[in-house]
Amino acid sequence: MTVLANPLHHARPARPSALKVGAWLAAGLAILPLLAIVWLALTRPSATAMPLSLILRYGLTTAALGSLTAVAVTVLGTSAAWLVVMYRFPGRSLFSWALALPLAAPAFALAYGYADLLDVAGPIRTALRASFGSDFWPMEIRSLPGAAFVLSMAFYPYVYLTARSAFISQSVCALEASRTLGSTPWETLTRVALPLARPAIIAGTALALMEVFADYGAVSFLGVQTLTTGVVRAWSVYGAPGSAARLSLLLLAVAAVLLWQERSGRQGQSFGANSARWRPLEPQPLKGWASWGASLYCLSLISFGLFIPAGWLAYRGLSAAPEADRLIQAAMTSFSLAGMGALVTVSLAALIAFGAPHSHRIKRLASLGYATPGAVMAVGLLAPASLIWQGAGSGGSQTVALALGLLILAYAARLMASALGPIEAGLARVTPSMDRAARTLGETETGALRRVHVPIAKGALWTAALLVFVDVLKELPATLILRPFNFDTLAVLADRYASDERLAQAAWPTLLIVLTASLPIIILSRKIMQSRPGE
Amino acid sequence: MTTALTLDHVRKFYGAKAAVDGVSLILEAGKITCLLGPSGCGKSTLLRLIAGLEPLDGGTVATDHILSGPRSHLPPEQRDIGFVFQDYALFPHMSVEDNVAFGLKRLNPAERQKRALKQLQRVHLADRAKAFPQALSGGEQQRIALARALAREPALVLLDEPFSGLDAHLKAGVRDATLEALREAGTAALIVTHDAEEALMMADHLALMDQGKILQTGTPQDCYRCPVSLAAARLLGPTNHISVLVINGLADTGLGTLDATGLEDGPAIAILRPEALGIAADGVSAMVTSNRFAGAESWIGLRIDGASRLDLQARMPTGNSPPVGTHLSVILDPSACTVTPT
Repeated sequence: MTVLANPLHHARPARPSALKVGAWLAAGLAILPLLAIVWLALTRPSATAMPLSLILRYGLTTAALGSLTAVAVTVLGTSAAWLVVMYRFPGRSLFSWALALPLAAPAFALAYGYADLLDVAGPIRTALRASFGSDFWPMEIRSLPGAAFVLSMAFYPYVYLTARSAFISQSVCALEASRTLGSTPWETLTRVALPLARPAIIAGTALALMEVFADYGAVSFLGVQTLTTGVVRAWSVYGAPGSAARLSLLLLAVAAVLLWQERSGRQGQSFGANSARWRPLEPQPLKGWASWGASLYCLSLISFGLFIPAGWLAYRGLSAAPEADRLIQAAMTSFSLAGMGALVTVSLAALIAFGAPHSHRIKRLASLGYATPGAVMAVGLLAPASLIWQGAGSGGSQTVALALGLLILAYAARLMASALGPIEAGLARVTPSMDRAARTLGETETGALRRVHVPIAKGALWTAALLVFVDVLKELPATLILRPFNFDTLAVLADRYASDERLAQAAWPTLLIVLTASLPIIILSRKIMQSRPGE
Repeated sequence: MTTALTLDHVRKFYGAKAAVDGVSLILEAGKITCLLGPSGCGKSTLLRLIAGLEPLDGGTVATDHILSGPRSHLPPEQRDIGFVFQDYALFPHMSVEDNVAFGLKRLNPAERQKRALKQLQRVHLADRAKAFPQALSGGEQQRIALARALAREPALVLLDEPFSGLDAHLKAGVRDATLEALREAGTAALIVTHDAEEALMMADHLALMDQGKILQTGTPQDCYRCPVSLAAARLLGPTNHISVLVINGLADTGLGTLDATGLEDGPAIAILRPEALGIAADGVSAMVTSNRFAGAESWIGLRIDGASRLDLQARMPTGNSPPVGTHLSVILDPSACTVTPT
């Protein structure tokens, strides 16, 4: 064949795509701090090491806190989801998104609110003493059970959201089959719906637990010493990065287990999800006291999770004039950090979503970052950070910029996976053959990205940015460790006021965070409510 | 004849399994070639290799220059090859018109729109230009996908199971419209299908594929009448096969003697299309074992008790189809039979 014997080379050898390389680099950024931790833990023997007994106590406290919270969030989140999906009662459609509202409040906001409200000198116990002559309040809020209560109220929405979507999308057909086979709603719950939704519920509980173990603000204020407060103390009190890194390793191991649980839970979600034949489930009307009971249950969850503590903080805050200058300064700092964090994180996540849409390995790396507590992430970036401090002395504007860069890197490494979720969901509309169609119509790889993927995923990119924005706003421990000197975000400012026992002052930045985060949370949760499987 | 594309010993492996195993094929300019094969035989993979969506592991794909070779791979956007995907792959965020104009970015906007509209007229959908793909029926979406692929006036367009997603009653109409548009565009086309009837009706040239290999190429008529093997014959429709012995270029089936010129003496297989069996006075006696109604024609099961028992399927006009249990006198039409080596 003469054609073949005369190779006119317009073609060039196939090479790895630039996008894919970018995706690997982005995932690499997410685990860079984790690698640094392993390195620190192995290479920094510390003279001022924490005693082993202390580490053991931190570990046991963390385990107890995790167990209590896990049980509580699972029961609360699942029951609320079941009510909202299966029954009709007053306020149901409002509750179905409002139950996610506590996500707007950082856990430390609840801790401040409850600690003050239930203090010996607080209004409730004062009233009890006045009425009954003695103070028989059963539970000290500054305790392990108290912290478990606060964290359960803050984090039950994670289980609520996953359980709700599991109930709605997975088991509609099975639920109806069960009812036509003569099961009562209760039997349907225990025999069909719960077993079907179990993987999703476990995934939600794992997410909530990741938050519990990552929390610093609430537990430190309530005086409960967990591994995460231990990491921060090892760094700030003991000045021992090696010890901090070794504690971090423990937390990372826990995180890896949770991540594995969450992942296998999500794989399980796929069973029975035949989106083509999805039909809305007709909820059963509840009658009489049962319907008001259901409303009251949902209302009290939202109240305990947001309204009561935030309301009390607002009452306390209004009794004192805020230090306006510091507050405004901190708000500006918070918003610009959150904006930059969102931009960088979403860009990196998009790089992963676009560049390696089918690589599970890359996504697993990114989600490892998500499971990592912020304090741990910060410790992982301490080594480069301290080099910067030493190199530039103190103050110079370049040093500040570099430190801010590290802080944003910490946010990105931690939040990349949560941005990846919505982006991937948005890209589900782009089938592989659309990508190929663009290529056969003369577009290059990046051209197809610009003209097909990005426009289709535009809404999802904004959703992802909102999620990251809210999370950065609420973030405390990583900011506390990595921020340049005298560089306060709203969360840091609240923490500083609170640790000085100036709660009325702490209320102001806390409420600013809650209010700012509320709007995105309302938008996001309503969006989740409206979305249907298969869309 | 002008060659639009040449495949030379193309190979593609997935792990140790060869999905495409040494395929050589020539596509002629302006002609429609159908690639027929069962699911999983490698035909869709072959399309993706031609379009450059995947690198190949051996052989070459060439027009007047090499597109894919052992150490070279021209990216799909530079190949001048159109592709109509099985799921159409219309972009949901663009109107029909923008979808069709997607590949025309080198033209100025006015000209782009003109060309897109011309393509839409060709598939009779100019009135839906502003609609979004989701609002169209499956048949309309298929035609948009075709118009989009043809808009760049490619030398070759590849169609992957273009009618598989359509309801049966839509198929015939969409098929005719597709043929019309392809002929009008004058481009070479390679259509992948697993539907024998579709392939026979549409193709200028037919290529039969199984397990990564091309079994036979030729006109639909040649492939149907003279299959080179039992596997090739089965791809194009139901067959009866009888083990026969070739002696001096003749094969005795028990129902009549067939020409087996070119075959060596020894065992062979006679392939009888269902329509080869007819009723005539001087035939062989056969018992009717089944009678399945299929519209104008019926499927008749016949049993012939000769030296060995033969069970055959015949296709006869429904009007005088015989009841089960009766005996018929059956003859063979040699023009609907072939003898192939075992």
